Amino acid sequence: MNLLEIKGISKIYGNVKALQNVDLEVKRGEWLAVMGPSGSGKTTMMNIIGCMDKPTEGAVILDGKDISKESARSLTATRREKIGLIFQQFHLIHYLTAVENIMVAQYYHSMPDEDEALRALDRVGLLERAKHLPSQLSGGEQQRVCIARALINYPMLILADEPTGNLDEANEGIVMDLFRQLHEEGSTIVVVTHDPEVAEEAQRTVVLEHGRVARIAYNVIAPPIIL
Amino acid sequence: MFWRLIRGALFRQKGKMLMIAFTIALGASLATAMLNVMLDVGDKVNQELKTYGANIQVIPKEASLLGDLYGLGEDSGAAERYLRESELGSLKTIFWAFNIVDFAPYLNVRAQLLDESPDAAKTGGEEIRLVGAWFAKHLDLPTGESVDTGMRNMKSWWEVDGEWLTDADEDAAMAGSLLAERAGLAAGDRIRVGAQGGTRELTITGIFNAGSDEDERLYVPLKTAQAMAGRAGVVSSVEVSALTTPDNELSRRAAQNPKSLSTKEWETWYCTAYVSAICYQIEEALGDSVAKPIRQVAESEGAILEKTQLLMLLITILSLAGSALGISNLVTAGVMERSREIGLLKALGANNAPVSWLVLTEVLLTGAVGGAAGYFAGLGFAQIIGHTVFGSAISIKPMVIPLVGLLVLAVILAGSIPSIRLLLSLRPAEVLHGR
Amino acid sequence: MTRQAMYVKMITSSLLRRRSRMAVALLAVAVGATILSGLVTIYYDIPRQMGQEFRSYGANLIFIAPPGGDTSGEGVSEAAAAEALSYIPDSAVVGVAPYRYKSAKINEQPFMAAGTDLEGARKASPYWFVAGEWPQDDGFVLIGQEVADTVRLLPGSSFTLTGTDDGGESFSKDLQVSGVVQTGGSEEAFIFLSLSDFDAAIGGNGNYDVVECSISAPQAELEGIAAQISENVSGLTPRLVKRVTQSEGTVLTKLQALVFLVTAVVLVLTMICVATTMMAVVTERRKEIGLKKALGAPDRSIMQEFLGEGLFLGCVGGICGVFLGFAFAQIIGINVFSRSVSFQPLLIPLTIAASALITVLACAVPVRRAVEVDPAIVLRGE
Repeated sequence: MNLLEIKGISKIYGNVKALQNVDLEVKRGEWLAVMGPSGSGKTTMMNIIGCMDKPTEGAVILDGKDISKESARSLTATRREKIGLIFQQFHLIHYLTAVENIMVAQYYHSMPDEDEALRALDRVGLLERAKHLPSQLSGGEQQRVCIARALINYPMLILADEPTGNLDEANEGIVMDLFRQLHEEGSTIVVVTHDPEVAEEAQRTVVLEHGRVARIAYNVIAPPIIL
Repeated sequence: MFWRLIRGALFRQKGKMLMIAFTIALGASLATAMLNVMLDVGDKVNQELKTYGANIQVIPKEASLLGDLYGLGEDSGAAERYLRESELGSLKTIFWAFNIVDFAPYLNVRAQLLDESPDAAKTGGEEIRLVGAWFAKHLDLPTGESVDTGMRNMKSWWEVDGEWLTDADEDAAMAGSLLAERAGLAAGDRIRVGAQGGTRELTITGIFNAGSDEDERLYVPLKTAQAMAGRAGVVSSVEVSALTTPDNELSRRAAQNPKSLSTKEWETWYCTAYVSAICYQIEEALGDSVAKPIRQVAESEGAILEKTQLLMLLITILSLAGSALGISNLVTAGVMERSREIGLLKALGANNAPVSWLVLTEVLLTGAVGGAAGYFAGLGFAQIIGHTVFGSAISIKPMVIPLVGLLVLAVILAGSIPSIRLLLSLRPAEVLHGR
Repeated sequence: MTRQAMYVKMITSSLLRRRSRMAVALLAVAVGATILSGLVTIYYDIPRQMGQEFRSYGANLIFIAPPGGDTSGEGVSEAAAAEALSYIPDSAVVGVAPYRYKSAKINEQPFMAAGTDLEGARKASPYWFVAGEWPQDDGFVLIGQEVADTVRLLPGSSFTLTGTDDGGESFSKDLQVSGVVQTGGSEEAFIFLSLSDFDAAIGGNGNYDVVECSISAPQAELEGIAAQISENVSGLTPRLVKRVTQSEGTVLTKLQALVFLVTAVVLVLTMICVATTMMAVVTERRKEIGLKKALGAPDRSIMQEFLGEGLFLGCVGGICGVFLGFAFAQIIGINVFSRSVSFQPLLIPLTIAASALITVLACAVPVRRAVEVDPAIVLRGE
């Protein structure tokens, strides 16, 4: 069954058509990469999938519910409940420690739970860095905190925007390992990137060009789904 | 290119720059208003203190103050001395003429209240003190100017039941409350008063309550008093209300003996509105006269003026310090926000100096616009204060402009230079990566 | 951990770990609060402080013999004067000087001798300018400038006062001049003796001709006191010295209006300054707001967090401001008036509430604007 179904969406800013009649389906447990050059509509796509924007036309059905007509308020609630966001710029709150940054997500979602947040940090291998401020963490560590934060509320969909864009090769490897692990555990992942190496890791790659889906590639070398 | 960068910064981030300009404008308007008010408050309060009446009394040389007291002296046989009424206009021609707010001559006459009116209740033959005075006299000076002066302005605390006398009304009089009570007088009554120079029938236009021994007297226009005393063209004393500068060491020494001063000191003293200098000039203008400061008024005025000015000065300093802190805060925040841009410029190979100049010029331009706007807004505030409190405009002092300019400059530099230095010390790579 | 604890944790972390920025904001709020509490304290203290200054104009209430009789008659008895004075609150009395008058002669020249409490006269008439010393002991007197000129006396010279006392006997008393009084008024023709000297030389019925009081009180209160005295004390008539009371009222009202307006202008401008600073501080954090929205924070939570911070800043700044402001008012009081100002306890809650309100309002505007923005734009935008 599909977790996300996008049906003929268009997004128009003034007279710029960022997306034109795009269809896309994401299955539960699938790892999908969205690729494309700058200006291809990647970001717009990600904003719509991440419930941060609404299409001008068309329907977006997430978990069986059309979110394209929802109010900003309930869109926020949907985002909180169902989406885990990972950013290129990490976007940690600089005055909160690693564990507190994770607890912020819990706080907005339901109830902050420090032990659970620490377990999440442990999972990304940063337990001993829990009390550090973002400024005391390396880029890779910050990204791992960001991933831990995205996972903390058990989202249906993990949406990552250029997750390795600001990382060196070693950290890129660590982050990709984490994604692989998540995928093996059955998470649904959408990665927006322009890096073919990152895209190759996914099961399927959707390439956008000029606001349309140019092609869809299935990755044979992707590891099989093992449950 | 430099200017293109500046233009870009100023016009494309309008919001932030407007906010800084707005805050600077607020601070500058505060400084302008406070400085203008502070510099003018002395004059304004001095004007207000004129409600205490005269601060200088002029009497003929060798005349005794004793005449004022308990009827002593006048019978002692000393020849009575007078000042000439015709010379009074020259009071407005002395160096400090502009500082003389009001003056009024008085002529004291001993008179009797005669019991010839049909109303039997009125006591007869009683000795009273009759005083001739100017009430609201219009004088044309030889210089071509004209003044309106008299005791009406100088006795603002008098409560008059009825009408104030006018100078033209030569058959009218005003009676003090104590006299009126004793003699049973009321506004509108007609009385007969006799003195050396003849008997006059006078209409009481009003009864006044002065809260002092003036309440025992009967006031008539000067001309009437002169006619009744049989002495035309003379007055026995003049009260002068003048705007003065608070006394200091120099003026105290001068008051003791003007001749003890060196030429330079003497000039300083003569050209400052000390009460003693004004007295000295009055003595020069009126022949055979002695001008004395009325210490009760002159001293107290000085004290109150000084306090008020000091108070305003401290309030001004407080508010200026406050707004300076606020603005320099905001400027710092404004500059800190530009960290990314400065990092970028440095990454592109810009040296420290041009980058600093760029940011400084931007902030200074913003400050100049804000400061100019603030200056004019501040003038408005000052006028509002002047009109509401004193009912007159605050005079605009040009020296406030450079003061405000300097202040704004200092505040902007204080707010931006440390933050620019801080930003320059950062490595471009770190800034650009948003750490 | 409860939600409340997390909320508190987020706010305190934001305040403590962003020290420099928060210091900027706190400084702005504290300066604003300082100005508020300082100026308001001064504004309330002006009538009292300036009123004291105005006492240099001398007596504003005098007691004289009740009308009806001859003015030169009985005078004011000591008992009546004491009774009348009991109606005046002690703290308001600046100086009281009772006077007895009698004409007397020096070298056969007639003058007026005045017996008074010299210490009281000094307090009640601070404008007297005395060349020489104020008399400390019996036998020493002050003479008016005119007396000094006429009889050619200097501080330190001795003279003999002659005349007839109340019993009709002639008297003569040797006295020494300790100082010469200049006032520009009729006092210059007087000889001022202490009451004991006066009684010893001239005698008398122990009654005063006039009692001069210098009282530090607003005009209305003074009128009230005078009315009370005239109603309850029979042996004398209180009279307000109109020239002093009326004029003081006029000038003081203007001065207070001046300080009021200045305070108002300064406060409005300062508060706007505080508000713009707070706005700048909050606007800087748009990205953080965007992030929180992306994490699914409802607008209300974000508002709550920022307002919480604002409230905290406002309260802390307000508390600092209360004390700094009082310290400042105290400096003004001591420098300008050489007196300490009174502390207004009501100002504590007022200042804190005002600064908290302004800070919170100043935060609310930019936060409200920021939460309306799409999180996507904030996060992507540099």
